[in-house]
Amino acid sequence: MHLPKFEHLYPPSIKEAARLLKKHGSNARLAAGGTDLFPRMMHGLTQPEVVVSLKGLSIDSADSSGVTEGSELHLNALMPLADVARLAAVRQSAPLLAEAIVSVGSNQIRHMGTLGGNICLANRCAYYNQSHTFQFVEPCFKRHGNRCYLIPKGKKCVAVFQADTVPALICLDAKVEIIAADSSRQLLLEKLYTGDALKPLALSQDEIVGKVIVSKPKPVRGTAFSKFSLRGGVEFAALTVAVCLDMVDKGENCAAARITVGSVAAGPVRARKAEKTMAGEMLSDKLFKEIAAIVAGEIHPVMHHGYSIPFLKECLIAQTYRTLVRAAERAG
Amino acid sequence: MKRLIELCVNDETYELAVEPNAILAEVLRDQIGLTGTKVSCGTGECGTCTVLMDGRPILSCLALAVDCQKQSIITIEGLAVGEKLTTVQQAFHDCGAIQCGFCTPGMVLSTTALLEVNSRPSTREIQKALEGHLCRCTGYNKIIEAVQQAAEQMPPKAK
Repeated sequence: MHLPKFEHLYPPSIKEAARLLKKHGSNARLAAGGTDLFPRMMHGLTQPEVVVSLKGLSIDSADSSGVTEGSELHLNALMPLADVARLAAVRQSAPLLAEAIVSVGSNQIRHMGTLGGNICLANRCAYYNQSHTFQFVEPCFKRHGNRCYLIPKGKKCVAVFQADTVPALICLDAKVEIIAADSSRQLLLEKLYTGDALKPLALSQDEIVGKVIVSKPKPVRGTAFSKFSLRGGVEFAALTVAVCLDMVDKGENCAAARITVGSVAAGPVRARKAEKTMAGEMLSDKLFKEIAAIVAGEIHPVMHHGYSIPFLKECLIAQTYRTLVRAAERAG
Repeated sequence: MKRLIELCVNDETYELAVEPNAILAEVLRDQIGLTGTKVSCGTGECGTCTVLMDGRPILSCLALAVDCQKQSIITIEGLAVGEKLTTVQQAFHDCGAIQCGFCTPGMVLSTTALLEVNSRPSTREIQKALEGHLCRCTGYNKIIEAVQQAAEQMPPKAK
C-alpha cells in the first residue's frame, strides 16, 4: 500500500529526537520499528508531516548489547522484540517477558518491532483501524467526532490497548525510563497508562520511552502468560493474562501474587482484589478456580473486534485458571 | 526530496535515489527489478514480501528504503547459484510445498533464516517461524514437511 509523503529526520541521539518532537509538535510522529505507525499511515489514520526515526540509535553508546545487569535488568527499549526474547539475561531473570514476546505479531514483526514500540502501541478498534479514505460518515470519537460505531449509545471511545508484552512487564513490576528534550524520569510502567482510549499514554509530545527496567526475581517465583486469539498467530489478542506468583515456605504458600489482564480495556488492568485474596494462601486447584471467578468479577471487558462481553468473561475465567495452574507448576 | 542511498542486495551494491516514503519492496521490485519479492497485503500481515536483512526475516512492505542504508539484503533471487537450488528450495520442490507459488519466496527466506539459527527445529518452532506467512493453497502441512526435510538435509555447519 502507498505511504503518504512526509519529511524523514534522523536525529543523532535520543535527546535530539525528543527535541525534534518538541519542535514539530503534533505534526511529528516517532518511528522505531515502524510496524505500528506505517500501516496506520497507509490507512490514513495518522498523517504526520514529519517522521522522526530512531533507527540506528542506542540509548547508551557504551552499552552495545542492549542490556545491563545489576540488581535490575536495564533493557534498551530500541531493541527488536526478537532480540530481547533471545537474551540470556531475560530468559533467566524474566522468562515471563520472553514468553509474552513470542506471542507478539509474527516472526518478521518481532524482528522489526521494538520493545518500546510495543509498550507505546496505539489503541485499536475494529471500526477505526481500517481505511477511512472513502468513508463519508460522521467521524467517531477517535477522529474528533462524537459517536462510536461499535457501541451506538457509547459516550466515550472504547478502543482497546492490545500490546502483549505490557501485562507481563507490569507483573514483573517494570519501570520505564522516559527521556525528554532536557530531562529524564523514571515511571512505574503501570502508571504510563491513563485508561483513556483517546490519550492512552501519560507521555507528553516530546517524551520517548528509552529504557525498560525489570527487577531481579525473588528466589521462588512462578510466572505464566497466555494470549487468547482466534487464529493463534499474526493477530491481536482477544485477551491476555499474565500471572506472577512469589512463593514462600518451600514453594507451597503464595506470598504475593500479581495478575494483569490485557486487551480488555483502554489500558492493561490489574486484578487487585484477586491478588489480595491470593496473598498468604496455599496453592490448590480450588483456590485457582476461586481466583479465576474473582478476576472475572472485578474486570469488566469492553466489547472489541467481534468478541462479545459474555464471551470475554467466560474466556477470562478459563484463561486465568489455566495461567494460574501453569504459573504454580513452574513455581514448584 | 529524493535521497541517495546505498543498498547491498544479493551481494551487489546499488546506488539509488529514493523518496523518503518509498518502501523497500517497491524499490526492490520497481527500481532494481527483483520481482521475486512479492507484495500482497502491503500492511505487514501476509509475509509475501519477506526479505532477509542482515540475516533477519523482515517485511519489506513496512521497511522504508531510506532506513535500509548500507544494509545487506537477500531476496529470493540471491539464494540459488545459477541452476543449483539451495537445500531449502530443493526441499520445497521435492515435497510439493508449492502450488501457486506466491507465498513461496517469503516462506523459503524465512525457512533459510530459521535453519541458520536452529538446525533442528521442532514442528512448533517451524510453525512459530512461519506464522507470519499466509498460504491460501497448500494447507501448510507440506510446507512444514519441506522445512523438516531441509533441516535433515542441511550440510552440517563448519565450526
